[in-house]
Amino acid sequence: MPLYLCNAAKGAIDDDAKRKIAADVTRIHCDVTAAPPDFVHVFFLEESDFVPLNGQTILLIGSIRGGRTDEQKAQIVREIGESIRAHTGVAPDKTFVTTTDTPASWVMEGGDILPEPGEEDEWLVAHKAKIKAQS
Amino acid sequence: MIACTCLVQAGQISAETQGALRESIDGFARRALGAPAEITWTEVPRNSGYTANAPSTSSIVSIRANAKLDQPRRVTLLEELCGLWMEQTKCSLNEIVGVISDPQES
Repeated sequence: MPLYLCNAAKGAIDDDAKRKIAADVTRIHCDVTAAPPDFVHVFFLEESDFVPLNGQTILLIGSIRGGRTDEQKAQIVREIGESIRAHTGVAPDKTFVTTTDTPASWVMEGGDILPEPGEEDEWLVAHKAKIKAQS
Repeated sequence: MIACTCLVQAGQISAETQGALRESIDGFARRALGAPAEITWTEVPRNSGYTANAPSTSSIVSIRANAKLDQPRRVTLLEELCGLWMEQTKCSLNEIVGVISDPQES
C-alpha cells in the first residue's frame, strides 16, 4: 500500500508507457507524501471488470493510506494525470484519476500493520530488522 | 457472503495453487467471520505490475468483514490470512499484502 490500480482500453497503454507511468507514480507518491517507495504498487489491467472504465479510456484509482491532506491528494491526482497523458497521448477527457483513503490499521504488509502517515521511517527500520532476523 | 478480492501477478500462481487458496480463504472466512467467501480473482498481466518501481511479485488479498472489528482481532485475522497465503504459495512476507476492512457505513 499504496496500490495504484489502472484499467485501460485495449492497447491504450503499451509496456513502455506502463514502465514510465509506474516510475512517475512511484516518484509522485513519494515526493508528495514523503513515504518510502518500498511498498508503492502500480498495477495495470486491460478491459477489466474489476475497475470498470465507465466510458473512460484510462482509469486509475489510488488506494492510499488515510491521513493525507486534500492538497496532497489533489497534487497526486493532477501529476499522475499529466504523466498518463504524456506517455499515452490519451485526451484529458478520456482519462480519470482519483484516490481513495484506506486506514493504515486495516493493512498488513511484510507481516506488519502499516504505519500511520509520518511514522514510516521508524516503521521501516524496525521492519527491515525483523525481516533480516528472520532470514 | 464475505467479499474477497485477490490481485495476483500473471503466471505466478498455478491453477492448482489458486484452487487451494480459494479453499483456504473460504475456510478462513467461514471460521473467522461466519460466512462463505465470494472470491474475485484478478490477474495482473505480464509486464504490468510494479512494486517499488521494479517488476512486481506481490499479491494483494482484500476482505471486507461483515462486522466492525477491533484492532487486536483484525491483526490476528490478518496474520492468519497472510500466513495461509504464504503457506500455499511459498511467497515471502514482503510479497503478500493483506487488507481486512470494516463494512461500508450506510
